[in-house]
Amino acid sequence: MPLLAVENLSFAYSHSDVLSDISFNVNRKEIFFLLGPNGCGKTTLLDCILGLLKLRQGSVKFMGKELNGRRPEDIARQVAYVPQSHEKTFPYTVREIVLMGRAAYIGMFSSPSPEDMRAVEEALEKVGIIRLIDRRYTQLSGGEGQLVLIARALAQKTAMLVMDEPTAHLDFKHELVIMETIVELVRETGLAIIMATHFPNHAFYFENSNIATRVALMNDHRFLMAGRPSEVLSEGNLKTIYNVNTRVVSYSIDANHDLKQVIPISTQSS
Amino acid sequence: MPEPDICRPEREDRNKCRAHPWVEGACASYAGFLATYVLGVNTINKNMLYTLLLIGPLACIFVSLFIGRYPISIAIVAKILWCKLSYSTCNISQMHQTIVWDIRMPRAILGALVGGCLAISGASFQGLFRNPLVSSGILGVTSGAGFGAALAILLFDAAAPIYLFAFLFGGLAVLLSYLIGRVYNTTPTIMLVLGGTIVSSVFAALISLTKYVADPADELPTIVFWLMGSLASARYQDIMIAGIPMLVGILGLLAIKWRINVLSMGDKEAQTLGINTRLNKGIVIVCATLATAGAVCVSGIIGWVGLVIPHIGRMLVGNDNRVLIPASLSLGACFLILVDNLGRMLTGSEIPLGILTALVGGPFFVYLLKSTKGGGW
Repeated sequence: MPLLAVENLSFAYSHSDVLSDISFNVNRKEIFFLLGPNGCGKTTLLDCILGLLKLRQGSVKFMGKELNGRRPEDIARQVAYVPQSHEKTFPYTVREIVLMGRAAYIGMFSSPSPEDMRAVEEALEKVGIIRLIDRRYTQLSGGEGQLVLIARALAQKTAMLVMDEPTAHLDFKHELVIMETIVELVRETGLAIIMATHFPNHAFYFENSNIATRVALMNDHRFLMAGRPSEVLSEGNLKTIYNVNTRVVSYSIDANHDLKQVIPISTQSS
Repeated sequence: MPEPDICRPEREDRNKCRAHPWVEGACASYAGFLATYVLGVNTINKNMLYTLLLIGPLACIFVSLFIGRYPISIAIVAKILWCKLSYSTCNISQMHQTIVWDIRMPRAILGALVGGCLAISGASFQGLFRNPLVSSGILGVTSGAGFGAALAILLFDAAAPIYLFAFLFGGLAVLLSYLIGRVYNTTPTIMLVLGGTIVSSVFAALISLTKYVADPADELPTIVFWLMGSLASARYQDIMIAGIPMLVGILGLLAIKWRINVLSMGDKEAQTLGINTRLNKGIVIVCATLATAGAVCVSGIIGWVGLVIPHIGRMLVGNDNRVLIPASLSLGACFLILVDNLGRMLTGSEIPLGILTALVGGPFFVYLLKSTKGGGW
């Protein structure tokens, strides 16, 4: 049984369709990418999976059980969310932020227990930032802040993470730090991940790291196609959805490893 | 009920009205206590912190029994306290007993409740609305209550309807703000704030209207003084009645305090973290409104406490609402008792609380800002 099964999902704001007839599965230890131009409905699809929006049609099943319409704490024990960027309001400490990942396990009028505290430390250790536990998260760099949000999602102890452009606004190095962290997590904990991204090379990065990776190309509120990055991310398909001329190249780093990358060339039609 | 005043010029024993030396001593030690309380909070462990937060208001209530315009010596106050608490009879003049036990004591208790309520609901709303500039009146409860009180002053000639109208209109104002904020069938924070702003300004206009039609000889000054806020009329029965919504609100907010942390992440994140945002927001709003409306209906409008005391709390104990909410409660209670004591000692006639809170609190806030560097805030 797949971990997540989305069947014939449709969603509409009032009258205009935002998503129509989307079906896909995500398995354990797999990364599923949503790739497509701005406004194609990636974030809306993620919101539907997270139970934030009411479907017009179709179903979202998690381990065979319908997720849509369940209580927030039930959903939050199955799927955790890592937001793209996060508007920081109060200078909470890292510990306090990650602790919020335990909300689904803590009763309405209760406060976190020592067990929740241990889950927090465990999550921070997994992403390698336990040293930051007592820092104020408003004073962290963008990359460290994103790691804190990943740790918060891990504290939810779910089998799946939903990430919406987790490397947006990050510098050259921290983008890679986040990617490496995600690879580690999938390898060691068997998490499944759904990630919306703007960079085809992210999908190649995971495929190059020998992680089960699939990409769905979205355009016009529907899936154009889905499959392994090396099949789907072709020069022709990228031309279709982005109208961009690209080259897909392969570069051998050492004897056993090839690195596939997409290089954008031009936006002129030729 | 104000204390009998022996300092009026027509009295022959005017020299008595100079404060006893012990009054000054009490004030000095009081200020010293508050300073250690405020600075000590930062450096101690959790259990001690909670003990201090509990002892603070109790100590303030105790000290304020000794302070007032009618000088009563420490020994007599202590004796009165002892025989009241042990239910034995006193051989002390009835007037002294009345002043200490029926005037100063309820006033101090009410001050603690009102200050605590304003501060705790301010802190909760700041978290809920993800905005540190929000105060306990953000959803219109104070202007609603102000209008209710003014209306009752126009219509009736008694105190009881003022409390009732102030409480009901305070609640009504919040309900209206909430309904305005529900346009999209959800309650996005920004729409709630907008609803609160609209309702507040409508009720502010209605307050002006009641002032305009009020009789300038007696009704108008009553309205104006009510709006400035005062604890002078405190009696036990006020505490019994208004104390119920205040206590319910306080206990509710104390119980849900950790969830305010999660709500302050914003609706979308809070829900993906597993929180029913609508229900939790509703509980916070209802509790904060009960507390604030209960406070405002007996004390009138006291500004500043609900906005700045939570900030003082943030500087001292950080932003985690698990500590901030109880700290705001305690600090608000101490602060309002202190200011009320000052208000009845400083000049010949009592200075309204709404004026003094800002005059005393402002410099204190600046001092704290300097000494804690804002606590990363």
